[in-house]
Amino acid sequence: MRATHENDRATTDEHGDELDPREAARLLARTEREARRAFSSSPQWINALMGAVILVAYGSLWLSTRGQHPYRGPSLGVVALVYTAVAVAFAASVRVYRRATAGVSGPSTGRQRVEGVAILVSFVLGSPVLQGALRHDGASDAIVYGMIPAAAPLIIVGTTALGIAAGKADWPLFGAALAVVTGGVVAAFVGPSGAWLAAGISLFIALVGYAAADALQHRSVPLRA
Amino acid sequence: MTADSLDPVIHAPTRLRIVATLAALPEADSLSFTRLQDVLELTPGNLITHLRKLEDAGYLVTETTGNGRASRTSITLTSQGRAALAAYAGALRELLGSA
Repeated sequence: MRATHENDRATTDEHGDELDPREAARLLARTEREARRAFSSSPQWINALMGAVILVAYGSLWLSTRGQHPYRGPSLGVVALVYTAVAVAFAASVRVYRRATAGVSGPSTGRQRVEGVAILVSFVLGSPVLQGALRHDGASDAIVYGMIPAAAPLIIVGTTALGIAAGKADWPLFGAALAVVTGGVVAAFVGPSGAWLAAGISLFIALVGYAAADALQHRSVPLRA
Repeated sequence: MTADSLDPVIHAPTRLRIVATLAALPEADSLSFTRLQDVLELTPGNLITHLRKLEDAGYLVTETTGNGRASRTSITLTSQGRAALAAYAGALRELLGSA
């Protein structure tokens, strides 16, 4: 039945003028919207979801360390919760990325891989190197296990993302990266416990703001139909 | 301006969907035949028919690599195809604006 229907449609397609311009405009807008959704490796829903997960995870770190004098760091339970949340968010992102890029090849896929490696390297190396160096120099736990792990990844990864966004003229991403870097700078000055809250809020704003900016940018208004 | 002024190669539902879908990819990127078929929910025969027409017009190029079951066909929208879609959308806009 489907093949017959397809054949009928193929025949109709031969007579292009049977497609009403208004109908064509609607079809074009709908196809563009569906294609964008199909090929988007960071859809709005996953950015919003990750923003919420990060806010809860960092909020838990803040609650767990609030009022500590001297700073001892978050409880093991909270650390486990944060690692689980990050692992789940990472797995979901990988799954979405794989589905979006299945069957796609060309210059942009290679570029995306290089960008991914740059982000990963700055995330994995940036904060631990600083923590190690500061520990070596006898810095306090508040700095090594509070301020640095909360603020440094945001400043380092955010700056890397700023460069990537500027190179692609991706202004929503540029704005999100700027919010992350700003959050990192604020986190560096509000104490070890407050740093987690500042980091969580800025990441939430960046991710949800990016999702909103992306939605606005791709609003379907190309044609009157 | 009338509907006759619309590019007849693109002004057909399936071909319009094919071109608009490929145009959603970054320039010079390719899409595999199977993924395009999956996104558009078309039968292989129908898709091949329309791809041939678009290829004949110079709007896309198809490239097959490998042999037998391992063969993979990828489709790339040419800059001419991208420009044709932009011109088609512009013509539609003008047509609907004057309607």
